[in-house]
Amino acid sequence: MKLLIQALMAAALINAGAAFAQDATRGQKLFDECAACHSPDRTAKDTVGPSLHGVVGRKAGEGADFRYSPAMKRSGITWSADTLSNFIADPQKLVPGNRMPYSGLPDAKDRADLIAYLQANMK
Amino acid sequence: MVTKLKEVDAVIVGLGWTGGILAKELTQAGLKVVALERGVHRNTAEDYALPGVRDELRFVHRHDLMQNPARDTITVRNNVKQEALPMRRLGSFLPGDGVGGSGVHWSGHTWRWTDNEFKVRSMYEARYGKNFIPEDMTIQDWGITYAELEPYYDKFEYVAAVSGKAGNIKGVIQPGGNPFEAPRAREYALPPLTDIQSSKMFSEAARNMGYHPFPRPSANASRAYTNPDGSKFGACQYCGFCQRFGCEANAKGSAHITVIPIAMASPNFELRANSWVTQVLKDPAGKKVTGVRYTNLMNGEEYEQPAGIVLLTAYAINNVHLMLLSGIGEPYDPVSQKGVIGKNYCYQTGVGANLFFDDHNFNPFMSAGGSNHTIDDFNANWDFDRGPHGFVGGFTIGAGFNTSLPIGNRPVPSGTPAWGTAWKAAQAKSYQTAMNIGSSGSVMANRYNYFDLDPTYKNAFGQPLMRMTFDYKANEHKMGELAAKLVNDIAKAMNPTSFNRASSRQSWTVVPYQSTHNTGGTIMGVNPKVSALNKYLQNWDYHNLFVVGANVFPHNGSYNPTGPVGALAYWTADAIKNRYMKNPGPLVQA
Repeated sequence: MKLLIQALMAAALINAGAAFAQDATRGQKLFDECAACHSPDRTAKDTVGPSLHGVVGRKAGEGADFRYSPAMKRSGITWSADTLSNFIADPQKLVPGNRMPYSGLPDAKDRADLIAYLQANMK
Repeated sequence: MVTKLKEVDAVIVGLGWTGGILAKELTQAGLKVVALERGVHRNTAEDYALPGVRDELRFVHRHDLMQNPARDTITVRNNVKQEALPMRRLGSFLPGDGVGGSGVHWSGHTWRWTDNEFKVRSMYEARYGKNFIPEDMTIQDWGITYAELEPYYDKFEYVAAVSGKAGNIKGVIQPGGNPFEAPRAREYALPPLTDIQSSKMFSEAARNMGYHPFPRPSANASRAYTNPDGSKFGACQYCGFCQRFGCEANAKGSAHITVIPIAMASPNFELRANSWVTQVLKDPAGKKVTGVRYTNLMNGEEYEQPAGIVLLTAYAINNVHLMLLSGIGEPYDPVSQKGVIGKNYCYQTGVGANLFFDDHNFNPFMSAGGSNHTIDDFNANWDFDRGPHGFVGGFTIGAGFNTSLPIGNRPVPSGTPAWGTAWKAAQAKSYQTAMNIGSSGSVMANRYNYFDLDPTYKNAFGQPLMRMTFDYKANEHKMGELAAKLVNDIAKAMNPTSFNRASSRQSWTVVPYQSTHNTGGTIMGVNPKVSALNKYLQNWDYHNLFVVGANVFPHNGSYNPTGPVGALAYWTADAIKNRYMKNPGPLVQA
C-alpha cells in the first residue's frame, strides 16, 4: 500500500511538472470558487469540505478527518488530473449522491488550470 | 443565588447580524466584549451541510432554527378591547434563535431605505399638507438622513455579498437597475443573480406597462466572492432551499460566516451560547446601566455580567421586551400617548396573485433567495402621487421564486376542491405551471398599535410575556386596494390561462406566515419625549445603553429591513468607537 502511494505520488509529481504548461497561477485565482468550503493548506482543518492539500493521488473519501458521503467513499476513485476534471465538470454525474453543493465548472481550460494549481500545491 | 462575574467593556445581548457586527468592530477597537446568545452555536459544516439541511419538515414546518414558543412567546390581540392570548405556535413571523440569528435563514433581500422613510412626516406634510396625515398616525422623522447612512449601507452590502444592479450611481441613472433608488457611491458588490423565467416574464409585462423592473438586490453571492474582511463566499447554487434554511454553499450573506468568526478569533471576545438575558441592570443614580443578568440554560444558574456598555442586539421584539422587563424608559400608553417604550410597533402588509399557465414550465425548485424582479414605481418613486389614493407610504411589486418547497408550495386555481382526486390532479399540474406576483407594503405607525407587558401570561422564567396590539388601519386598506388592482392588472397583461386574484388584507391574524419584518417599540428620533433612542441608537436615559435592530424604526417601509439594520449597526459601531469611547456620555443633547 505504501509503495502504491509512493508510486502515485511520484506520478502526481511528474504530472505536476507537465501540468505547469497549464496556468497554475490562474488556477490559484480560480480556487476562489472553492475557497468558501475548502482550504488548500496542509495544516488547515476540514471545514465545510475537506482540505484539498495533496488531493491529487489521494483515494476519494479517504482524507484525514472529514465525514465523507457514502457515495464518495464507495466511488473507488483515485484523484488524478483526469478524474478530478471529470468530477469538477459535473460532480453529481461522476459521483451521484455526493454531498458537495456545487453544480460544476464547465470550462475545460478552467478545470485544467485549477487542477494544475492543486497539483502544484502538494508540498 | 446570582454569581457576579468580572466586568467587561461591553456585553452584547443576541449574536446575529447586529450583534456580530458590533462584536467584530468593538473587539477590533480593543474592547473586551462578551456576547450572550440564548440559542445554540451552529455552523455550516455541522448544521447546514448536505444532505441534512434539505429537510423542509424540520426547518419549515417544525421551525428548527426558530425561537421556541414553549419557553417564551408573545400574546397578541387586534385592539385594546380584546383580551390578548399567547401565540403558542409560531405563524405570522419567525424570529430566529442561535448564533447567527435570523441572518442564517433569511432570504438575503437587502434594500436601502431612503429619505422617503427617514423624513416621512416632513416630506408628506410639505407636499400634501398637515391634514393629509391622520391624527392617529404617529409617524415621525427618524433623525438621520440617507446621505449620512450611505457609506454604511455600502459597507454592509460589501460585507454581506449583495448581488444586484445599481440604478443610480452618484446621481447618474444606470440602465437595468432601480431608477428610483437613492444615489449610491458605486455598483453592488456582485452582479445580479441569474434570471429565472417567471421573473423575466413579469419584467417584460411590467416594462410594457411603463414600469421599471429590476433584479432584486440580495445577499446571495452570484459568484464566488471574498469580502473586504477576507470572508469567503461560494457561488449560489440556486438550490431552492434558502428562506428558513442555513446555506449549504456559504453563499448567503450571514453573520456566522463573516463578522462572528472574525470576532471569535480575537482574544478580546467571548461567546456564551445558551445564555438567556432576563434583565438589564441599572445603577441607583439612574444615569447608567451596569450590566445584565442572565441564566445559563444548560444548568439554570444565574449570573450577573457587569459591563461598561450594554448592547441589545436581539430580535426586534425581544429587544423591546427586555427594555420593558428592565424598567428602562416609560412604557407607552395608547390612551394618554405618554411614554415611549413599546410605541410605534409596525408590521408589513402585502397582496399576491397566483398565475397558472398551460404553456409554461417554471422549474420552481431552482431559485435563489433573491431570484425575483421588482418594480419600485409605487414606493421609492416620489413622483408617484399618493394624493388621489389618500395613503402614506408605498409598496413594491415583484415576481419570481424563492424557496418554493416540495411540501409547502401547493398553488391551485381558485375553485379547485380542497381535497381528493381533483385536488391532486390540479396540484400535480400547477406545481410546474404556476407562478406568483406579490406586493410588499409599508405600515405606518398608529397610536393603537404598540407593545406592552401582558398582565396575565408569563414565560418560563416567570416574567410577563410581551403583548402585541396590532391591526391594519385605513391607510393600509387603501394601499392594499391599489396594490391588489395593480398586481391583477400585471397578472392579466401576462395572459395566463387563469389566475387567482389578489385582494387587500383587511385584519391581521397570527397565521399563516406573512413576514418576519416586525419594527418599532424602541424607536429612534430627535426628541426624548417621543422616542427611546437618539440617532446613534443610544438610549436617551442611560447613555451606555445602545439598542440595535428594526425595533428602532419609527415606522415600517415596504422594503425588507435588513439593509438599514446592518447599516445602522455599523453606524452605531462607529459612533461608539470614534466618539463615545473618547468621551462617554450622551452623543446628542436632548
